[in-house]
Amino acid sequence: MYVILVYDIKSDEGGAKALTKTFKICKKYLTHIQNSVFEGEVSEAQLLKLKMELKPIIREDRDSLIVFKSRNERWIPKEMWGIQEDKTSNFL
Amino acid sequence: MKRSYYIYNNGSLRRKDNTITFTNEYDEKKDLPIERVGDIYVMSEMSFNSSLINILAQNGIPVHFFNYYSFYTGSFYPREQLVSGNLLVHQVDHYSDSEKRLKIAKAFVEGASYNIYRNLRYYNGRGKNVQVHMDLIEDLRWQIPRAQSIQELMGYEGNIRKTYYNAWPTIIDQEIEFEKRVKNPPDNMINTLISFVNTLIYTKVLGEIYQTQLNPTISYLHEPGDRRFSLSLDLAEIFKPILGDRLIFSLLNRNQITQKSFTKGLNYLHLTKEASKTIVAELDAKMQTTIKHKDLNKTVSYQYLMKLECYKLVKHLLGEKEYEPFKIWW
Repeated sequence: MYVILVYDIKSDEGGAKALTKTFKICKKYLTHIQNSVFEGEVSEAQLLKLKMELKPIIREDRDSLIVFKSRNERWIPKEMWGIQEDKTSNFL
Repeated sequence: MKRSYYIYNNGSLRRKDNTITFTNEYDEKKDLPIERVGDIYVMSEMSFNSSLINILAQNGIPVHFFNYYSFYTGSFYPREQLVSGNLLVHQVDHYSDSEKRLKIAKAFVEGASYNIYRNLRYYNGRGKNVQVHMDLIEDLRWQIPRAQSIQELMGYEGNIRKTYYNAWPTIIDQEIEFEKRVKNPPDNMINTLISFVNTLIYTKVLGEIYQTQLNPTISYLHEPGDRRFSLSLDLAEIFKPILGDRLIFSLLNRNQITQKSFTKGLNYLHLTKEASKTIVAELDAKMQTTIKHKDLNKTVSYQYLMKLECYKLVKHLLGEKEYEPFKIWW
C-alpha cells in the first residue's frame, strides 16, 4: 500500500527528542519528502511495525501523526509546484 | 514488494540511524528506507565501511557491483538466513543422479526455447518475417526430450540460440552488424548489450534465489563451477528471452539505444552512463509490471515470477510437485 505520513511534534520540553526520534524511525520505512512529510510503498506488516516503533515516542496528548493510505500509488496523483524533484526515485 | 536501488553517482554509502544514507560528491545526502530496499546495484565508485556491510547483512540486502565497463564484478551476498540442510541434500542428489539432473536441465531448455519461439512469433505477427527461423526452432525443439546427456542438450540449446540470433537483424529496425554471439569481450554493439542485460537478469534471479532456501551454487543445466552462482544462470535462461531480449528489441527499435550510446574508441565495448541508466530503468520498470497469474488467480509482477520459479524448483527437489518451467501464456 502507498502511504503519506505527516507529523506535528510540539516543540516544548522533550519535544526536540521526540522529533528526532520520530524522524529517525520514519526514515527506515519511508522516503523523506519534506520537513515533516514522508511517503512510500509499504506492506501492511511494515506499517504496523512502524506504528509499534513510534508508539512509545509520540506523546499522545501533545503530538499528532497522520497517515494517508492508498491501495496504490497511482490513486494519489501528484503535482509538484515549485522545485521539481523526484525524491522517491530509486536511482542515485 | 521491495525495490532495487541503483547507484550511478560517485559517493559514499553509510549506516546512519539504523538506515542507510547515500552522500554524493557534492555532499548531498539521501536516506534510503532500509525496510524497503530489496537489493542495491553499484555502478559507480562508492566508498563504504564494515558497519554498512553489517546493517546490509542484518537486513539481508545483497549488493551487486559493476565495474567501469558495466561488467559484473560480483555480489555481496549476506550470510544465508534461510538455510535448509534437507533441501541442500535433495539439491545435490538431483545433481549427482544424472537422470534426475537431465530432467531438470531439459525443463530449463524447454522453457527457454518456448519463450524464444514466442518472441519470434510475436514479431512475426508484427510484420517482421521470421517464419523460417520459427520453423527451424520448432523442429529443433522436438529434439530436446530425446537428449541423452547434458552435452547433447547443450548442443540443441546452442543450435536453437544460433537460429534465434540469426533472426535478430530482421527484428531490429536499426542497421546492426550481428552475426553471432561473442563474449569475453563482446565484439560489437549488440553483443555488448546482450552481455549487459543478461548480467542484470542473472543478478535479479540471484536476488530472488537469496530469498529462498535454495543454494545458488548447485545448478543443473550449467556445470556448477567454483566462484559463481550457477543456479541463477540456469533459471535466468527462462527469463532471458521475455525480459532481456524483448527489452533489447524495444530499446533499439525505439532508438533509445543507438551507436551514440557506446564509447567508440573501445570498439563498442563500453556503454555510456546514460545508456546504462536507460537500460536499467527500463528493466526495473519491466520487473515491476504485473500480470494476472493463471494458476494463482492473482496479479504478480515479473520479479515475483522469478521467485515462483524458485519455489517450483524447491517443490520438485522435495518430490512434492514436478517442475514445469515458466512459459509465457498470454
